[in-house]
Amino acid sequence: MDEFKPQIIAFTCNWCTYAAADLAGTSRIHYPPNVRIVRVMCSSMVNPMYVFKAFESGADGVLIAGCHLVDCHYIDGPVKCDTMFARLKKMLHTLGLEDERLRHEMISASEGVIFAQVIREMVEQLKKLGPSPFKIRREALV
Amino acid sequence: MEETRIGVYICHCGLNIAGTVDVEEVTNYAATLPSVVVSRDYRYMCSDPGQDLIKNDIKELKLNRVVVASCSPRMHEPTFRKACQDGGLNPYLYEHANIREHCSWVHDDKKVATEKAKDLVRAAIKRVYYHQPLEVKEVPVNPKVLVVGGGIAGMQAALDIANGGHQVYLVEREPSIGGHMIQLDRTFPTLDCSECILTPKMADVGHHPFIELLAYSEVEEVSGSIGQFKVKVKKKARHIDESKCVGCGICEEKCPWKVPSEFEMGLGKRAVVYIPFAQAIPNLATVDVDHCVYIQSNGKKCGACIKFCEAKAITPETLLNQTDQIIEVEVGSIIVATGYDQFDPSVIPQYGYGRYDNVLTGLHFERMTCAAGPTGGKVVLKDGREPENVAIIHCVGSRDQNYHEYCSRVCCMYGLKYAHLIKELTDADVYEFYIDMRCFGEGYEEFYKRLSEEGVNFIRGKVAKVTDVAISDEEKGKLIVVAEDTLLGKLIRVPADMVILCAALEARADADKVASLFTLNRRADGFFLERHVKLDPVATPTDGVFICGCCEGPRDIPDTVAQAEATAAKALSLISKGKITLEAAIANVDETKCLGCGRCEEICTFHAPKVISKNGVMVSELNETLCKGCGACAVVCPTGAMLIRHFTQEEILAQVSALTEV
Amino acid sequence: MEVLSPYKEATEAIVEAGGEPLKLCYQCGICTGTCPWNLVRGFIVRRIIHEAQLGITDFGSEEVWLCATCRACVQRCPRGVEIIDVMRAVRRAVVSLGIGIVPDALRISAKNIAGAGNPLGEAPERRGDWARDLGVKKFSPGTEILYFPCCIPAYDPDVKRVSQATATVFNKLGVDFGILGTEERCCGEAIRKAGYEDTFHSLAESNINTFNRNEVKTIVVSSPHCYHTFKNEYPELGGEFQVIHIAQYLAQLIDQGRLKFSKEINKRVIYSDSCYLGRHNGVYDEPRKVLQSIPGLELIEFPDSREDALCCGGGGGRIWMETVKGERFSDIRVEQALEKGAGIIALTCPYCFLNYRDSVLTMDKSEIIQVKDISELVAEAM
Ligand SMILES: Cc1cc2nc3c(=O)[nH]c(=O)nc-3n(C[C@H](O)[C@H](O)[C@H](O)COP(=O)(O)OP(=O)(O)OC[C@H]3O[C@@H](n4cnc5c(N)ncnc54)[C@H](O)[C@@H]3O)c2cc1C
Ligand code: SF4
Ligand code: SF4
Ligand code: SF4
Ligand code: SF4
Ligand code: FES
Repeated sequence: MDEFKPQIIAFTCNWCTYAAADLAGTSRIHYPPNVRIVRVMCSSMVNPMYVFKAFESGADGVLIAGCHLVDCHYIDGPVKCDTMFARLKKMLHTLGLEDERLRHEMISASEGVIFAQVIREMVEQLKKLGPSPFKIRREALV
Repeated sequence: MEETRIGVYICHCGLNIAGTVDVEEVTNYAATLPSVVVSRDYRYMCSDPGQDLIKNDIKELKLNRVVVASCSPRMHEPTFRKACQDGGLNPYLYEHANIREHCSWVHDDKKVATEKAKDLVRAAIKRVYYHQPLEVKEVPVNPKVLVVGGGIAGMQAALDIANGGHQVYLVEREPSIGGHMIQLDRTFPTLDCSECILTPKMADVGHHPFIELLAYSEVEEVSGSIGQFKVKVKKKARHIDESKCVGCGICEEKCPWKVPSEFEMGLGKRAVVYIPFAQAIPNLATVDVDHCVYIQSNGKKCGACIKFCEAKAITPETLLNQTDQIIEVEVGSIIVATGYDQFDPSVIPQYGYGRYDNVLTGLHFERMTCAAGPTGGKVVLKDGREPENVAIIHCVGSRDQNYHEYCSRVCCMYGLKYAHLIKELTDADVYEFYIDMRCFGEGYEEFYKRLSEEGVNFIRGKVAKVTDVAISDEEKGKLIVVAEDTLLGKLIRVPADMVILCAALEARADADKVASLFTLNRRADGFFLERHVKLDPVATPTDGVFICGCCEGPRDIPDTVAQAEATAAKALSLISKGKITLEAAIANVDETKCLGCGRCEEICTFHAPKVISKNGVMVSELNETLCKGCGACAVVCPTGAMLIRHFTQEEILAQVSALTEV
Repeated sequence: MEVLSPYKEATEAIVEAGGEPLKLCYQCGICTGTCPWNLVRGFIVRRIIHEAQLGITDFGSEEVWLCATCRACVQRCPRGVEIIDVMRAVRRAVVSLGIGIVPDALRISAKNIAGAGNPLGEAPERRGDWARDLGVKKFSPGTEILYFPCCIPAYDPDVKRVSQATATVFNKLGVDFGILGTEERCCGEAIRKAGYEDTFHSLAESNINTFNRNEVKTIVVSSPHCYHTFKNEYPELGGEFQVIHIAQYLAQLIDQGRLKFSKEINKRVIYSDSCYLGRHNGVYDEPRKVLQSIPGLELIEFPDSREDALCCGGGGGRIWMETVKGERFSDIRVEQALEKGAGIIALTCPYCFLNYRDSVLTMDKSEIIQVKDISELVAEAM
């Protein structure tokens, strides 16, 4: 059997975490290739529906990442995102998804190293957890 | 419907991308995807020939969507949008895939990187499919400016703008401009007299051809948004004829009824008809309606002022029938400079303010040392004696989670200023009780050093209480200040005749009302919130509304003036541009889906959506000039009526599912 | 030069007990200036906090045992430092790690509490004796109220007046109440503050079991210390009961029109706020209300009252430690009461009762001023 390669979707805000991922690139900080980034304008733009969609279509983990509290381009997006995230996490939990599959981070534009680190950690963790229960179900049914 | 025709361009970026990603494979792969009409690779897409590829293809192949996979969109999205536009395509029909920073530069396995690049390109193609053309709108800027608050902050801002040749409306609530600064005696650290440096400015404001001074007035209503605000100002009735009053003050002299003067902090009295201080601008009398015997008796009693006013500015008519007036003005931007209130120390009972006669606040002491003030500039106790010892207590209501957690930033310095003045004006010993000395500004540390030389006693410790219960003869008849001298590790009792409380600066009592009037946000400490603490300190979340001075937090005069000038620069730069370009990728309400629930209105930091009644039903209406496109409203909208252009659910869902496909 | 404490474990425990707020102390010293000890001797509270921050606590110092946990300082601290928790943690380290000296008197009381379930070392079988001739029933499931008198009113020959007055009032009004007598043990509040954490836990566990076994729902207490721990500390250990202090209960009875007075007490009465009813739990009005309802009684106030009231000196286990003459806060209080011309000092706390009684006796003032619990005054006026 092939080694399990977890798939991660990362929703990153344009101003901070997307830029942090850019910085990881310009600084050539390598990290596992399992992540695909979706650029949103602010972490408060992330609709729970997008996260469901990601899991439903086969992601093993989802990262939502934006600015630190005081840096948000739209002043208090991270606070709004946090409220959404808490609800989302509960919902996913009741659906049988392990808490570790969903992460919310605040990563500023200067924290390329941290971005890479978070991806590494997530990949490790997801490898331990194995494929997402949604994915297993789907594959069993198809 | 028009057929979707997508052009895809994969950049090599020299070897930056091509070194790790098999560009050819990605290009061939893209060509196989639905609606892709052309898929090309090129060494440097951002070069002119690269851009020309796009422009030509749009024309020749009738492309109506474009995807470029290259470096970060933060770098070249604008470049390729421009190329699309030059090629005759709406720039929002463009999508970018980042296969350099997010792919070739962070992976080294060519196979893996190529797969990832394919995923990213596929997702961009799926997403661009749903893009819609967007219009970039512009609104003109009305070159007039409203300034609210006539303290040093508001005056400075008004003068800067007016000196630039633009009309300013300056609204001041009190009968005269001047704010707190005109109450101050001398100002630290240079000790120049406040009146001497401020009154010329006040006069300039009063005479300036481009400043319309609306004193004794308040803003009632604000509508519209950046570039075109409509403002209603209530001009309160002074009950005198402003066109006739020459400010001679005879009415005040003859009025037999006296009440405590607000300007003198209650240390002196003023008449019921009054000019608050000698250099008031505008120099007009004002009748205190609540105390005027003539008005309260409906013209039956008193009326002394009517008799003595030679200019005939006060008449039975003005006293009994004059009413408030509403003035409407239109402006392009607003500067809020409403200042601060002094914290009321009577809520700290152990300091005895309000209970002991000789416990004063800073502003009281300012009036006391002022030569034109109620004591003629003498530092005296309530009974007229000169004090032998004076205690100055810092951080009263500041740096204390029971009251205000923040530092009020000026108290250490004015505490030192008082020590100096007491030394200059009396023979008293001075004790400064401080927690930390914060003397950070230009010349401030030097001032601290100077006061040390003058022999002030500095005691490091927060005062526990001020009491009149003596435990020794030496203490009898005095106030005793109890504190730990934390440097000695000893509890000490300092007998003093006079205690000056350096009371905190706090947000105005009506800051909530002012905030909702101008759609400002407030910090937890009550002051108005700036757009960004470091990088946008005088802007607010509401475009076109700026803040300066102490309404944004405690600060000294130099900082206040610098900020005021910054707001003026902001307003002037808007005026000189003459128009505002609005972000196109912003929210949009589908009225047919909207329930009018108001969640969007509630969550939006910028107050862009508002639920209004339209043909009897409640719907959300978006003020496009306010929306920044953050997307928070669309997340909470229960029906999907609210969506963000260019970031619609369709678009993002398509992108997400494309990324996890295969 | 100072060497950092060798008791790393202990200092870590203190830092932990002080929690985040301990780190916030900015050494302003208002705690020192507020602490009543400084009326009678030097006690630099701020320094103790700083030593705790740096991990250089002097476990051998007698200062470890001074704090009466009156909460005056905590109320004023501009940074929200839980000073009492720090004091308690220091004591806990001394007690459990044996790295200092526990004062003799405290050690004996602690031993009594652990052994006999009361600080006086009295026999547990006799805990209910105070009620013997009053026709008080034993609490059983279904009884509305458990009356929990506290160790002092249960055993102390003098302070028994308090529990007995309470029972008398309840009997007269037909309140459905009972006591658990021999099954009760000390509430443990004070011994916990004195550093005996384990003792507290075993007492609390035993009481919670007893209460649950008897299906207790509502407890009326005479001591603010019982009130405090039942209300604020037992829930963490799984004991959830409705707790009412007698002053609150009497005020309720007055509101409901059940408690009415027929006799006058024509005296000037000064009310002394107890720290644990007042500052710790914010109950200031009810005792005053009860006193004011008594016909003829003239209620007067101390120069410092309510939030600023002076501690009697009995909290935090101080009640069991020796306080030398000249350092007793209750002496100052009695003097103030005399100056105000009070004939009675009204109290709501058994510890206050002991301290004030001793002060009046040693100051030789029993001829002119009396010490009474609020329940006694109510009983007299009925
Ligand atoms: C005791 C004391 C001593 C000080 N000494 C010094 C010193 O020596 N040196 C120094 O640099 N700084 C000193 N300061 C600080 C100084 O007072 C402030 O920096 C300065 O006054 C701030 O000016 P401002 O215009 O922001 O606010 P303010 O002076 O408060 O002016 C605000 C103005 O807005 C008006 N206003 C308020 N609300 C409304 C409304 N809703 N509509 C219309 N108008 C409104 C008010 O009437 C007022 O005229 C001292 C402060 C204190 C308390
Ligand atoms: S997108 Fe953001 S700024 Fe625009 S209306 Fe929605 S919440 Fe407000
Ligand atoms: S949240 Fe949606 S449904 Fe509710 S008012 Fe706003 S747009 Fe309408
Ligand atoms: S009052 Fe609080 S901040 Fe001040 S010294 Fe005491 S513990 Fe520290
Ligand atoms: S709680 Fe009371 S006795 Fe203890 S340190 Fe604070 S003020 Fe002093
Ligand atoms: S802009 Fe980054 S989280 Fe809001």
